[in-house]
Amino acid sequence: MKRSRKKKRKAIPVPIASMGDIAFLLIIFFLVCSEVSKDRSDLDVTLPLSEYVEKTKAQVVARVAVDKEGDIYFDGTLVDNAKDVEWGVRALLTSTVTDDQRHVQFKCDSDSPKEVFEPVLKAIAAGGGIIEAVGEKAE
Amino acid sequence: MRKKYSKEKKHRDGEIPTGSFSDIAFLLIIYFLVATTLMKVKTITADLPSGEKSAQTETEKTPIVNLQGSEVIFNDKKMTMDELKDRLAALELGTKEPGDRIIMLESTTGTPYENYFQALAAISANDGVVAIVEEDE
Repeated sequence: MKRSRKKKRKAIPVPIASMGDIAFLLIIFFLVCSEVSKDRSDLDVTLPLSEYVEKTKAQVVARVAVDKEGDIYFDGTLVDNAKDVEWGVRALLTSTVTDDQRHVQFKCDSDSPKEVFEPVLKAIAAGGGIIEAVGEKAE
Repeated sequence: MRKKYSKEKKHRDGEIPTGSFSDIAFLLIIYFLVATTLMKVKTITADLPSGEKSAQTETEKTPIVNLQGSEVIFNDKKMTMDELKDRLAALELGTKEPGDRIIMLESTTGTPYENYFQALAAISANDGVVAIVEEDE
């Protein structure tokens, strides 16, 4: 009864010749736009809580971190003391013109005592940096 | 020997096989997408003025936050961190001249960063300018 409506379908070729070009363009885009992170995300740090923290809008010129043991890291490199941080920040900010170029990220363990973190904060300020202290949003 | 010659002949046209280029490229893209971490940290901004020590920095008018371990003292009055936030908000520092926005921040040895951070955040959020008080040696 039923007529077979099956017809031979024509194979429609999908143009894939430019796929490689598109893919490589995407790779180049990612490579140009991405920034290699200098942040030591593997550090053993418990961030302090505050209701005032906001997502960073400023572009930071350097990243300073103090871990649980009191070791100081400047852009991911272990330094001896706070004075090294001051010189590092000072060196980075020699050619800066506006305040937007003075932001320095500071990450410190919440249990660190004053004698560990305060010299580093003072060093950043003495080097001319504006401190961007990293924390977590309190509920 | 003959077989060898015949194999060489096949590639005489010198064409580079580009058929798998798109596959390689897409694999690279997937690798970048998986390996990339989009990180946006949350911070508070504090511009600490740096300068020479001055014996006359502290005046009677300048409010002072004193952190003694886990205790918070504002203008010689002990209070909680929430009360400090309210007191700082009541000062309406945003409406004042930059010179009148200074809040002294003093802390004793052993004060944890958690408390210091919260005080710093409260001062900065209320448009205050933090001046760190140094201990006498």
